[in-house]
Amino acid sequence: MLMEVEVKDKIYSLGNARQVFEKEFMPHMDAMYNFALKLTADEDDAQDLVQDTCLKAYRYINSFEPGTYAKAWLFRILKNNFINDYRKKSRGPSKVEFEWVEQSISGEDEAAEPAYFADLQAETVNDMLGDEITAALQSLPVDFRMIIILCDLEEFSYEEMAKILDIPIGTVRSRLHRARALLKIKLVSYAKSKGYN
Amino acid sequence: MKMSCEHHQDCMQLIQKILDGEASVAEKEAFFANKDLCMPCQKGYELELSLKENLKSKCQLSCPDQIISKIRSKLFLFLILISILIPLFC
Repeated sequence: MLMEVEVKDKIYSLGNARQVFEKEFMPHMDAMYNFALKLTADEDDAQDLVQDTCLKAYRYINSFEPGTYAKAWLFRILKNNFINDYRKKSRGPSKVEFEWVEQSISGEDEAAEPAYFADLQAETVNDMLGDEITAALQSLPVDFRMIIILCDLEEFSYEEMAKILDIPIGTVRSRLHRARALLKIKLVSYAKSKGYN
Repeated sequence: MKMSCEHHQDCMQLIQKILDGEASVAEKEAFFANKDLCMPCQKGYELELSLKENLKSKCQLSCPDQIISKIRSKLFLFLILISILIPLFC
């Protein structure tokens, strides 16, 4: 008798499911761990989140279409897992702060380039250490952090990000723009505190 | 060269769209035709490019081998459990 993993759209034998997992999912472990660590800001939580995501992906492997973008599928599971199980205990700015930042950056002043990061130069960013840039990224509210990671570190398209985050593509654009604006503000203050020019 | 840009905010959004690979050919051509004539746009482009490149190159980590081993062993355990349980219910 053929043993099968959860049946949905198609049926994989256990051996095939394992093969699909190794071939399609394992190459994205570094990206998933990196995403999980940036979201949770805690190594143990990141490990648990990646493990939970992998087990969930394996359990629902029949709803994955081989040849489609496995990384986007995995990231969507990871993001949902994070929101459902880890977000409450994750460190970083709260939802209240996030809403405040959304409003303050998206307010009527948006037409003007904020002066507080106008003096941030490309050379300054190039001189910064990875830890400093990571710290600035880590200090962003989680929804802003998430979209910058998806776009700049993982190079997802706007359409893929919209699917992963369950938001309209217009929201992807505006949130990304606000997230980058806030990141520049954070980098300016890091640059000043560390004595960069 | 222009030292101020009257639509700098729009230009910054376009720059991000270009660097994210989401701009059309026409948008790219229009921007690059004017970039070297406008200081704020030139500086803005350099800054956005450096941010993107530095995030990509300096904020990546590898997944520790121990996590990969743990996941593989949990999957193996899961497979064994299913192999034992399914025949009991079929």
